[in-house]
Amino acid sequence: MKKTKILIIEDDKFLIKLYSDKLRREGFEVVEAISSEEGLNKVLMEKPDLVLLDLVLPRKSGFEILSEIKLNPKTKNIPVVILTNLGQESDIKRGLDLGAAAYLVKTDFSINQLPELIKEHLVGRKRKRK
Amino acid sequence: MEKRYFLKNAPQYKLAEIISVVSHQLKTPLSSIKGYLEVLLSEDLGQLNKQQKEYLKDVLENTRQMIDLVRDLLDVTIIEVNRIEFKKSPTDLAKIIKKSMKEFSLLARAKNCDLSFETLNEFPLLNIDSIKIKQVIDNLIDNAISYNKRKGEVKVSLFKKGKKVVFCCKDTGIGISEGEKDKIFTKFYRSEEAIALATRGSGLGLFISKAIIEKSGGKIWFKSKKGKGSVFCFSLPIKS
Repeated sequence: MKKTKILIIEDDKFLIKLYSDKLRREGFEVVEAISSEEGLNKVLMEKPDLVLLDLVLPRKSGFEILSEIKLNPKTKNIPVVILTNLGQESDIKRGLDLGAAAYLVKTDFSINQLPELIKEHLVGRKRKRK
Repeated sequence: MEKRYFLKNAPQYKLAEIISVVSHQLKTPLSSIKGYLEVLLSEDLGQLNKQQKEYLKDVLENTRQMIDLVRDLLDVTIIEVNRIEFKKSPTDLAKIIKKSMKEFSLLARAKNCDLSFETLNEFPLLNIDSIKIKQVIDNLIDNAISYNKRKGEVKVSLFKKGKKVVFCCKDTGIGISEGEKDKIFTKFYRSEEAIALATRGSGLGLFISKAIIEKSGGKIWFKSKKGKGSVFCFSLPIKS
């Protein structure tokens, strides 16, 4: 059976390792990108089932990446879950308005909830397709 | 020295931006530490012995404390430069309280504290920022449990009074002495008894709570007797 592919765009080496290891242990296929450019390339090349996106990234912000994903007809249906430490109301609103499937503040949620949360958004996506 | 001079003389809005950036920079390693600890404690990577578990839980508790402190410092700065943002929407306050009660049930059990919630009325939805009001409710319940005696009680209630709803959180804790009553909503203030009883806490929670309630058009107040307990209440207008 084909594994669900998750693309993680995160520039912190400790966090990307933490998320990747956790998701691999839970049976996901994980693709990593540590910069915005690499992230955008991999969204197109790897065609992930879901993207986990950090917001504070060098050169291009996560908001810009999200906007590009949602404007491209080839990638606009990929659910994007924002995983950030920006917790201001204006940031949350901006992320959701741009089309993020969920907005999570890293310090406020447990890593152990991540696999379940991803599964929920993938189920939601499949339902929408039907 | 130069840095201190810079911070002291920076305009308020600049200072807020500096603190916002510093908070973000601090939160990144803290969320990483928290995540690794949660994975270890979940025993995904292998079973831990009792002492290893206990030590890791202590480190996690301290990490959470640091995260709370960073969040509180950012909140205080935002309040002080008047940049607090409210995202209001029709909210069921009783539902928020029940959620907080559930989240604090573990802490209450650990402290052998009887935590209860009572409401008699049906309430209209309030136009409030649910995240911020929950922050206040969490702070008041957390204080009531943390500064309570063993086998103490915390009674939370919600009722209607004219055109307002009133939330109260009553405890059987250490109480507040007369001399400290006017300082309790002051930034960084913690009573000696509070420090002695619970090491956790930045002394910012009540300051932030007061600002949130007042900026939501409400009032916050308390009554207390040293050694007997306290009751902290806030009211919010039904139409705002």
